[in-house]
Amino acid sequence: MKKGNLMFVLLLVFVLTTGVFAESVELSFYYPVGVSGPLARVIDQMTAEFTELHPDIKIQPVYCGNYNDTMQKVQTAVMSQDPPDIAVVEVSELYSLLAMDALLPLDDYINSENEDFINQYWEAFFGNAVANDQIWGFPFQRSTPVFYWNKELFQKHADELYAVGLSPERAPKTWDEVVQYADILTEKNGDDTEVYGLILPGGWNDWIFEAFVRQNESFLIDQENSIANFDSQEALQALLLWYKLTNEMHVSPPLRPWNMTITDFVAGDAAMMYYSTGGMPTVRKTANFDFEVAFLPMHYTYGTPVGGGDFHIFKGISKEKQDAAWEFIKFMTNPKNAAKWSMESGYVCVNKEGYDLPEMQEFMDDFPQMWTAANQLQYSYPKMMAVNYQQIRKIMTTNLDDVMLGNKSPEKALETMQREIQKILDMYNR
Amino acid sequence: MEKKSVKFFRRFTLIVFLVLTLIPLYLVLVIAFKSNKEIFSGNYLLPSLTPNFSNMKIVFESAPFFVYLKNTAIVVFGILFLQLIMIIPAAYAFARMTFKGSTILFFLFIIQIMLPLEALIVPNYQIINSMHLKDTLISMMLPFVGSGYGTFLLRQSFKQVPKELEDAAIIDGCGHFKFLWHVLIPLARPTIMTFSLISIATHWNDYLWPLIITDSQSVRTLTIGLGMFVQQESGADWGVLMSATLFICLPIILLFLILQKKFLENFLTSGLKG
Repeated sequence: MKKGNLMFVLLLVFVLTTGVFAESVELSFYYPVGVSGPLARVIDQMTAEFTELHPDIKIQPVYCGNYNDTMQKVQTAVMSQDPPDIAVVEVSELYSLLAMDALLPLDDYINSENEDFINQYWEAFFGNAVANDQIWGFPFQRSTPVFYWNKELFQKHADELYAVGLSPERAPKTWDEVVQYADILTEKNGDDTEVYGLILPGGWNDWIFEAFVRQNESFLIDQENSIANFDSQEALQALLLWYKLTNEMHVSPPLRPWNMTITDFVAGDAAMMYYSTGGMPTVRKTANFDFEVAFLPMHYTYGTPVGGGDFHIFKGISKEKQDAAWEFIKFMTNPKNAAKWSMESGYVCVNKEGYDLPEMQEFMDDFPQMWTAANQLQYSYPKMMAVNYQQIRKIMTTNLDDVMLGNKSPEKALETMQREIQKILDMYNR
Repeated sequence: MEKKSVKFFRRFTLIVFLVLTLIPLYLVLVIAFKSNKEIFSGNYLLPSLTPNFSNMKIVFESAPFFVYLKNTAIVVFGILFLQLIMIIPAAYAFARMTFKGSTILFFLFIIQIMLPLEALIVPNYQIINSMHLKDTLISMMLPFVGSGYGTFLLRQSFKQVPKELEDAAIIDGCGHFKFLWHVLIPLARPTIMTFSLISIATHWNDYLWPLIITDSQSVRTLTIGLGMFVQQESGADWGVLMSATLFICLPIILLFLILQKKFLENFLTSGLKG
């Protein structure tokens, strides 16, 4: 009898403990931080809130450096059959992850939600999540380039602007106006340029250049990522404009690294800049002058690629973990959290309903510049994607840098890009 | 007269280099205690009269930097300790013993110097993962333990010890280890110190490998913490970035300052040996 009791107790303990173990899931979540601020702490906070709501799911947030570092960590882990459960990577990397067969399609999860679920989100952001008719990613930290301008410097040159029929109260709307404004706003002292009219930043100039090509109603790599289209008239026209601004008129500095661009703008050394929406909180926090944010100036049309990072769930982990990962993604992109992330980071709030929340409305009233990026989404296109996008990016930035420095003619640079990038695309399209 | 002008010229060059070295450190120190608005107000060169500690506060709120400091110290000195245990006997074997295949083995050691770490990340990850050591302090040390560079450096310095000394030691009854301990290591001290210095400075700055092999805050190192403040998309928050840089550089700068005299001596003597 005594022995039987003991056995029963042991059995009970066994069942209870295994029961608990079976229900509780632990997920690793790899994320990059692309914008400044104590964002790692915000992520820690949000994951802790999630675990409060779902005590059976524990999230381990793992900060992974910048976008390139994060991709490297994800790739290393996947190649070692030790994939993370959830990761946010730069959107152009989708095809690289698919080539490694690393991702789980999310269609089943999305279809299992009610019909209104997907309508909460900006459709524009899904362009970079879809490949081969399936959805592989979910928008999280998403941005577009926008056009920043320094109101004080515009006022300073008001008379000159009025004289040619322009206004210091608005940003340039077209490429031609960009040239005119930049010319007037540039301040020279002999051979020294004291204030540049404009900065076309380096570093992520592949992204900015794609925007110019979109404004010409063209593209650089097609959606099926098999055709490179760098040798088009539209691309040439765009690059000739860059060449003119940097090397002929000298109204944009030859080459500024990406994160020095924002420093120059904030220091008042440049009157206008093309830059990510992710820079808005930094500009607002550090600038000693009023600034405004406008759509990227148009040519034949307005146009911009979107950018940033998406959530992905990985193959090679248990179904339970995948289900839990989906719960986590839904939580992180619900109106409240999407709005919170947008307010902290300057990214666009991926969930449209987030804009209806009182705290978000108050924030936007106080910081109306943030609307620009959201409004510009109607003219947005998916950012180009390809397998080994990092290589393509490298080729683009090298050649674009050379043009801006005046070391290469626009024609020659585009020809090189076309040849080398088509070669990379062909490698994976046989 | 000429002597004087030479002296002046030397002084002048040294002062120029001194200034060039100090400017970045000075800027770090000054900007670390400035508010953002002040940094962009045109007065970023002069120290502020009212130092601003909010940047430091943000640094320590963003990540557990003292834990990172402890981990970095353990990893850096752990690597050095294991390296010395490994390379001193190895260098001894390559320098003073002849055995079958010693040339080929030494050649393999030398090749290792030319392989960049990046090329080895995936195999290293797989080995560490299969040993279930991922996300531990030891995982950050292991790949660096068998230093080809250190072995090469020490072998050269062991080789210079005259054969007569070894003969004398053997007659006095020294075995391999006694000879190593009592004769070679004291003679090679400058080289060992030089190598230690380089090792500490290199691994204090390791970034990619620790980032990839660790996940938890509790084992991560300082450079990963610093990475949080270098931003790609939005531009850097200079005040905070400089505060973090200051915190990360300070221990190692202090270490070098305290041991400076010893180090210089060693660099000079090891340089003479060529």
